[in-house]
Amino acid sequence: MATATAIGARPGGQRAEGFSLGPFLLVPASLLVVAFLAAPLLVLFRYSFNRYSPREFMVDAFTLENYARFFTDAYFIGVLATTVQVAAVCTLVSLLFAYPLAYLMARTESRWKSALVIAVVFPLMVGNVVRAAGWMAVLGNEGIVNHLMLSIGLISRPVRLMYTPFAVYVGIIAVVLPYMILTLQSVIEGIGREVEEAAANLGAGPMTTFRRVLLPLSLPGVIAGGTLVFILCMNAYATPVLLGGPQFKMMAPALYDQFTRTTNWPFGAALAFILMTSTLLLTIVGTTVLSRRMHHRKLEAAPR
Amino acid sequence: MTTRALEAARNGAAAAPAAGLARLKRRAGRWALRGLAGLVFFFIFIPVIFVLWISLFQQQIVSFPPEGYTLRWYENAFARSEFRHGFGLSLQVAFIAMVIGVTSGAAGAYAIVRFRFPGREAFNNLLLGPLVVPGIVAGTSLYVYYIMVENLLDVDFRGTLHGLVLGHILLTIPWTVRLVSASLVGLDRAVEEAAMNLGAGPWTTFRRITLPMMRPGLVAASLFSFIQSFENLELTLLLVGPGRTTLPVAMLNYLEFRIDPTIAAVASVQIVLIGALMLITDRFVKLSRIV
Repeated sequence: MATATAIGARPGGQRAEGFSLGPFLLVPASLLVVAFLAAPLLVLFRYSFNRYSPREFMVDAFTLENYARFFTDAYFIGVLATTVQVAAVCTLVSLLFAYPLAYLMARTESRWKSALVIAVVFPLMVGNVVRAAGWMAVLGNEGIVNHLMLSIGLISRPVRLMYTPFAVYVGIIAVVLPYMILTLQSVIEGIGREVEEAAANLGAGPMTTFRRVLLPLSLPGVIAGGTLVFILCMNAYATPVLLGGPQFKMMAPALYDQFTRTTNWPFGAALAFILMTSTLLLTIVGTTVLSRRMHHRKLEAAPR
Repeated sequence: MTTRALEAARNGAAAAPAAGLARLKRRAGRWALRGLAGLVFFFIFIPVIFVLWISLFQQQIVSFPPEGYTLRWYENAFARSEFRHGFGLSLQVAFIAMVIGVTSGAAGAYAIVRFRFPGREAFNNLLLGPLVVPGIVAGTSLYVYYIMVENLLDVDFRGTLHGLVLGHILLTIPWTVRLVSASLVGLDRAVEEAAMNLGAGPWTTFRRITLPMMRPGLVAASLFSFIQSFENLELTLLLVGPGRTTLPVAMLNYLEFRIDPTIAAVASVQIVLIGALMLITDRFVKLSRIV
């Protein structure tokens, strides 16, 4: 119980002098993360510079050829382009769809509010595989969408919806929407209602209030939600595999294939770091563009 | 209702018809907003609703409308060993990973919030790190790492319970650190000081005052840790072995070939389990205030 004593001994916690055992409470968790995340990532990074040989499997080397191969191979450039496109479209669409619901959830005074929040969290918790299964039943040739369109005579034979990019978009948007809704909701809640009322009193219509007041003020939430959702889309695995079929390749499934089908570890390792680096770069670019715009708005608005 | 009518009448008398039109427009706009929000809400629930629904279908090949309803697919799902064992293994892994992750994560969060020391921020980032690394990348790196360690030490990691648990702890630590830190920051220190002034020793103060006040954070952290581990696919994919597969991986393998009421029954069990866990937890800790 030595550590517990140390905890209690410093209720102020700010004492700089002397030696405290408190920080040692960090040791178990830090060791676990270092041993099972940081160290494996380092090993993988090292492997990305190795050479692949079909006969000897992996040869120790220090070469950039895996990275070079990626950027010269049209197929893999295409995979990355598809991934970025899916991520960008899904981020934008989920932003558009999430905003109204997030706004209403932030502003409601209904006693059902907490139930509503839990209801938004719930689909997020049931897991991607389960939700992909649901979409398979909805979008399949025998699925409900085709059944409804056939029965009202909109189409005469089933339209192929499953194993198309469309199915992947639908599936991913449904996966990321709750994240966007919850992020936007918490930011909109922080914006005082009186700001909107002031705009309305000064004669602004709802659209103007939204465009000139609410949207600029909620831009931090848009950026935070957009970043989170974009990262999730870039790394999507279960949804593209189950709803897109084998023809539709995104980065995460392509990376997995390198370890299971082709067993080209060095190239698979390079794919992993290309995926993480491109996600990071694109998020930084997106965030700076948006926050610069926010900054400009402020400057524009100042003299008036 | 009456006040609104009165107000409308007053405004209508005072202003030109244009104002009435604007009001009508505004009301239409408000309903359009509500309608859109309702559709979005429905949209995120579609997959869950359909999984639950088709798990009860009479016919084996999913088609609409259902020919009737039955519960036999649940029996059928239970009879399949990959789902039965997968369910058991997922429960086991999630439970052990939750216990280790929440204990070590909460201790770490306590140190980060309560003590000032060099590198505090860096440790915070380290513990939140697993959130930033894509699941598939973390999974493949663990896979090659496990093979390397297996060759060095002659101990099995892939396809073993401890191998899975050690990986899944990564999923539980960042959630715990986030939720427990948040609950610790909002904690009133004066209560602890009062207890000390009244003669409680440090350990008594921690056990009787601090720990109970941390409870909401700990309960929420346990719930989310358990669920994150239980439903995880990406990190787990390469770490399972023959005969030792978690439920989400077993489901993925099955779904790659077909969707039928049997797999829907398996998915429904997962939906009901997670829903029940959330509802039970919500009775102790208001989840809407945490997420």
